[in-house]
Amino acid sequence: MSNVISASHLTLAYEHGENEIIKDATFNIKKGEFVFITGPSGSGKSTLLKSLYGQIKANEGSLVVGGLDLATAKQKKLQELRTHMGIIFQDYKLVNEWTVAKNVVLPLMIAGYSVDVQNTQASRLLKHVKLEKHADKFPLELSGGEQQRVGVARALAKNPVVILADEPTGNLDDYSSNVIWDLMENACQQLETTVLVVTHKIPSVFSLPYRHFIIENKGVYEVH
Amino acid sequence: MKFIKNHLMFILPLMAILLGVEFYLVFDRTTDSYEQGLKDGYSMLVVTQKPVSLEKLQSLNKHVSSSVKIKRETIVKEIAKGVSESSTQEILTSLPHFYTVRLDAYIATSELDEIKENLESDTAIKSVETFGSSYSSSYRLFSFIKLSLKIFIGFMGLVSLLLIIKQMEIWRFTHLQRMQVMEIFGAPLMLRSGILFRVAIIDALLATLFTSIFFVYIKFVWATHSGIDIMRQNQDELFRISDIMMLLLVALVIVIIAVTTVVWTSKGVEE
Repeated sequence: MSNVISASHLTLAYEHGENEIIKDATFNIKKGEFVFITGPSGSGKSTLLKSLYGQIKANEGSLVVGGLDLATAKQKKLQELRTHMGIIFQDYKLVNEWTVAKNVVLPLMIAGYSVDVQNTQASRLLKHVKLEKHADKFPLELSGGEQQRVGVARALAKNPVVILADEPTGNLDDYSSNVIWDLMENACQQLETTVLVVTHKIPSVFSLPYRHFIIENKGVYEVH
Repeated sequence: MKFIKNHLMFILPLMAILLGVEFYLVFDRTTDSYEQGLKDGYSMLVVTQKPVSLEKLQSLNKHVSSSVKIKRETIVKEIAKGVSESSTQEILTSLPHFYTVRLDAYIATSELDEIKENLESDTAIKSVETFGSSYSSSYRLFSFIKLSLKIFIGFMGLVSLLLIIKQMEIWRFTHLQRMQVMEIFGAPLMLRSGILFRVAIIDALLATLFTSIFFVYIKFVWATHSGIDIMRQNQDELFRISDIMMLLLVALVIVIIAVTTVVWTSKGVEE
């Protein structure tokens, strides 16, 4: 199977290269794989994830996602790549002045789908994350767990090629956490979506085979 | 309530700028006709030893637009009452030539002195009387009024601009989250900023409309009943249909610059 993500001697740094976070990392992730990235706080897990959607550029080495070399990619190509990604954040990053339904269909709106399609998809996705009764509410009217489920529904809206999740269950109760893991497992299993999750702890009950990378002392190592 | 407040916070300073622009246009038009009156009412007296042509005077200074010779016989008739015919003839031959000279513009006092100097540099011209003191006081008063209005408009524009910058910060704060989330999901710049552009353009249209209504009221209601002659005489100059286009253009330019600045400074996701 082809590589969806390919990093070669990747170095990521802040402050104009002076503060190195990841150094000389090489790894490949194939289509349909479920990957956990763990590591202590401040080790660079979120930085690595940001580099995968082009928020941070590589200082050295190369990083190719979906066939696009992010080091040299133009802004337009990067935007296009992001439309094929589903990104989930620990702080949800929902638009507070939009309803839950509108938040969920954001990727469809960006892709230019008609309002009818958006409405149909919003109902389907919200039913999927068990929030169909909250479609017309605003994010701040929901609990943290519910907001994260909206975030997951948004990430799944356009059947993305890759899902990138940054501590998706970090602040959630067990019920919401289980719903979210189920949703991501289903996406990986049924749609062959590549899922990359940054987390402190791999969930104890997880049915799919997965790969596990750990970030330590600026290096990215696979745990076998 | 919050919605109205948010709009008013941009519409009001924008209106202040538009009022300034329109006041400037109106003042410029009304003072043009006043300036024309001052210019037409002014002339200088040139005394020469022998007759001089208009071309000659114009070659000495480009501001000379016309010259009229004053009949010496009329002057002599006035000053030589009861004097014999032969003496009158003698006075007439020894009297210099007098010209009323008009200028092509209402110019500064310093330029008036320069004209006097230029004309007197010719040996045929004996003297030039510019009536500088009365000219100077009219000119200074006129210049003072013009300058005061420009300073007032400039100051009003500056304060309004500061208020608009403040509103830009509010826009940035309220639209940042949405624009950044949309950026993460790959929305192009125009889609991310579309809502802000729509809001700002609506504000620009409203500000233009309110300013136009204000001036239409001044023109058709206030000026008619004001009892001020200069207002009634210049009623047509107070507001023109073409001014609406000018106000709209100014409002849109301000809005586009403001929104573009907000959009560009909101690029990149803050953590």
